[in-house]
Amino acid sequence: MTVADRGERAARRAARRQSRIPTLFGLTGGLIVGVLICGAVFAPWLAPYDPTVRVATPFLPPSADHLLGTNDIGQDLLSEMIFGARVSLAVGLVAATVALLIGTTVGVVAGYYPKRLGSAMMRGVDVILILPFLPLLIVLAAYLGRSLLNTIVVIGVLIWAEPARIIRSQVLSLRSREYVLAARSMGAPDRWTILRHIVPRTGLLATGSFVRAVSNAILLEAALSFLGLGDPIQKSWGSTLFWAQSRGAFLTPAWKWWVMPPGLLIMLASLGFALIAFSLEERINPRL
Amino acid sequence: MSLVHPVVHRRRRSSRKWRLVALVAALSLVAFACGDGGEDTSAEEVTAAQAQAAAAQSDAAAAQSEAVSAQAEAEAAADALAQAQADLEAAQAAAAAAMEGDEVSQSALADAQAALEEAEQRATESAEASQEALAAAESALTEAEQMLDEAMMEQEAAMGPVRVRAAVTGDEASLNPYTYISGFPGWNLLMLQYDSLMQLDADGIPQPWLASSISVNEDLTEYSVTLVEGVTWHDGEPLTADDVAFSVNYYINNVEASRFARDLRGVEDLVVTDDHNATFVLAGPNAGFELGALADVPIIPRHIWEGVELPSEHDFGDTNIGTGPYKLVKYVEGQSYRFQANPDYFRGAPAVDELVVIVFADDAGAQAAIRAYAVDVIFERIPPEQIDLLDAEDSLDVILGPEFTTQMINYDASKRPFDDVAVRQAINLAMNRQDIVDTVFLGAATIGSPGWIHPGHPSYNADIGTVYDPAAANALLDAGGYLDSDGDGVREYDGQPMSFEIITNASDSLRLRIAELTVEMLAAIGIETSVAAVETATWEQAVWPGFDVNNGRNYDIAMWGWSAPVQADPLRLPQLVASVPAGGFLNLTGYVNAEMDTLSAVLGTEPDPAERNGILGRMQEIIAEDLPFVLLLYPDGAYVYDSTVYSDWEFIAGQGIVSKLSLLPPSARP
Repeated sequence: MTVADRGERAARRAARRQSRIPTLFGLTGGLIVGVLICGAVFAPWLAPYDPTVRVATPFLPPSADHLLGTNDIGQDLLSEMIFGARVSLAVGLVAATVALLIGTTVGVVAGYYPKRLGSAMMRGVDVILILPFLPLLIVLAAYLGRSLLNTIVVIGVLIWAEPARIIRSQVLSLRSREYVLAARSMGAPDRWTILRHIVPRTGLLATGSFVRAVSNAILLEAALSFLGLGDPIQKSWGSTLFWAQSRGAFLTPAWKWWVMPPGLLIMLASLGFALIAFSLEERINPRL
Repeated sequence: MSLVHPVVHRRRRSSRKWRLVALVAALSLVAFACGDGGEDTSAEEVTAAQAQAAAAQSDAAAAQSEAVSAQAEAEAAADALAQAQADLEAAQAAAAAAMEGDEVSQSALADAQAALEEAEQRATESAEASQEALAAAESALTEAEQMLDEAMMEQEAAMGPVRVRAAVTGDEASLNPYTYISGFPGWNLLMLQYDSLMQLDADGIPQPWLASSISVNEDLTEYSVTLVEGVTWHDGEPLTADDVAFSVNYYINNVEASRFARDLRGVEDLVVTDDHNATFVLAGPNAGFELGALADVPIIPRHIWEGVELPSEHDFGDTNIGTGPYKLVKYVEGQSYRFQANPDYFRGAPAVDELVVIVFADDAGAQAAIRAYAVDVIFERIPPEQIDLLDAEDSLDVILGPEFTTQMINYDASKRPFDDVAVRQAINLAMNRQDIVDTVFLGAATIGSPGWIHPGHPSYNADIGTVYDPAAANALLDAGGYLDSDGDGVREYDGQPMSFEIITNASDSLRLRIAELTVEMLAAIGIETSVAAVETATWEQAVWPGFDVNNGRNYDIAMWGWSAPVQADPLRLPQLVASVPAGGFLNLTGYVNAEMDTLSAVLGTEPDPAERNGILGRMQEIIAEDLPFVLLLYPDGAYVYDSTVYSDWEFIAGQGIVSKLSLLPPSARP
């Protein structure tokens, strides 16, 4: 065994170790997200009560019947958490899809026509990125009014800029590849080239952006709902926090069963998607 | 030794050094404490005096316990004395026995004698000890008594000036009649500095105040007032009828609009007969003039305000000159107000010598402050869920009372299906008001009378009952032809499902919860509703577009609530229920009833109070029957205060505790 051999093996081991961490992260993230999605899907079977029905006296502390106590009008908080996963995850996923659709379109067009159209579009993206994010979100949400759809739209139209940039840079490099040039020189129309050769190659990158956007969107939905700018009647984790805040739970012992569980769930959901995004990026990010 | 010595030496020096450091630190602390003797330390001084008193008390307690132990010692000594005497007797007996004995033993005798001596000595000793102990006990007791006396005196001194720190949530600018911001508690704080001619008593009924008497002519068009003699402004000038006339004309004629100009609408002339008498001449009869104007309008000094054109921008110097029980001595914008008692107040010096009002950003901050004893009272209602929690804290108390704000359901009674009285009655019957009060307000609200007037109000018609009967509601709808023909659980009217949106403002979370419960209760009678929580402006524009009922309405069902003044003055009832052309400018539901219009027209002009009450009673009956709106509940006022600082708060029915009555000694209240 030569010294070089040994060095090579060590390097390979290190590489494997390095690649093991993202995998571990990815698995953890997948596990968290999987559990939460299962909870959301099977909520009617998992939740002990219907969260929209008043089942006990208001402001009950945790007991055997109500593991997380009841809220200010006597609805079961545990059931609210389980059903809340539906709204929070749905908003996250749908808003991220909206963001990805806008982001991919803008990114591909701006990357494929990089001169006038592309740079004009990218200046627009810059404006979106520069705008103070949360205030803009709040103003938009307040202006459009409270509904689930509006929350999704507001979040979606504000977080597409980052995927757009990432995808544009990929498209910029794709459009100068030989096979693209070959197709174009043989007279392939732009639309065909984009759909046949460009968009499929951005898929992996888009997946990574999507997962990260979901993580962002979940946090943003929680923030909006907590501020009372979501639909306060919808049972989401953020709106549970809104009610806890407006009925004084932050000042009383009730924070342990009324504030902490939704807070932890929001953190977990966001973390789960962020971990998946991290491990995906390790694998698919183009390296130079 | 030479090795050990320096070490010891050094250590000593170092300990001396530390002692020096500690001394310096202590000195600087003392200096800091003394040097900080500015005007802000009166609270600290009070606390310090209280702490001293407490220390003196505990000293006294210690002295007492010393005395007790001294007494116990004395008792023990007495016991020892008895024991010694018993020993002595025994020894004497032994000696006698020994002397009588056949074998007279020298040693036994000696023993007996020694025992005798010992016993005698012990007896003397214990007698001395007992006397000493008794003396010690006595002196300790005297000392304890002295200390207790001192402590009492100190505590009395500490209690001397009463200083109350109050929390409000929101700045009220410089608190003159043109700058105060909110109707509550801004107006209430304003009226600590100013007086009106009449003042509400605890039942919410106007009583003579700056005016010692008020007389009204037969047709309610002339109100003559006689001022109390000897009232002076804060700057020493006397108050005269001239000031009253000036104030009224100023409010009416000033270019800047104000609540007081609105109050005085209808005043045609103010005739000043002499220094203390004046007569208001009204354009038409007005039975509500006392409550609406005389008890609301602050009288301002002519010698200060004359020539002031834009009062909201005018610089009045450091303070506002009024006749009220308090002078505003310091205002820090957005932070605090400091009011000092006016010792020359015409009803007697206030019971609270200094009132500091601290501005907080929100309720939560104010509640946290009172829990930490950083404020002594909160001048805003506390939410229902905090009542028990705050009341449970040491020395915090909560005072509850009736308030005249309302929570109600409005519907557009001018269009289908709400133009049908059967539908309105069904909605009224379907509402379980007790459930809402218990669930949302945790009991801290009064069940709504369908006739609008609060049961604690003098004009309440007690014959009106509140009924919850969903079966009767369903029967009414069935009889009215509102049937669920397609079996989806929702009734139909004119071929459409009875499915509506309940619009409400999202910023009022309790109202939002009431809306949720309303959805539940209406579902039980086959009316499907959903809650639309919107911005306050959007909600107001839908229910009351442009704040003018002539603009119509853009809603089916809305949660609504009126502020306290709308109900406090029952003579405002026509504004709510008369048809729009007949003066119903708060009639938000498009309700029309001919009898109501007739009653509305005569209510304000009826001179006899009993007759007026009769008309009001009939109007409440019609409202309860005809339901221009469904009144759900009146939230109770709840205020928290620290009872160790000041506890003489007066709850004015419908107004709460923020008034000069709370701060005046009970003898000075009306």
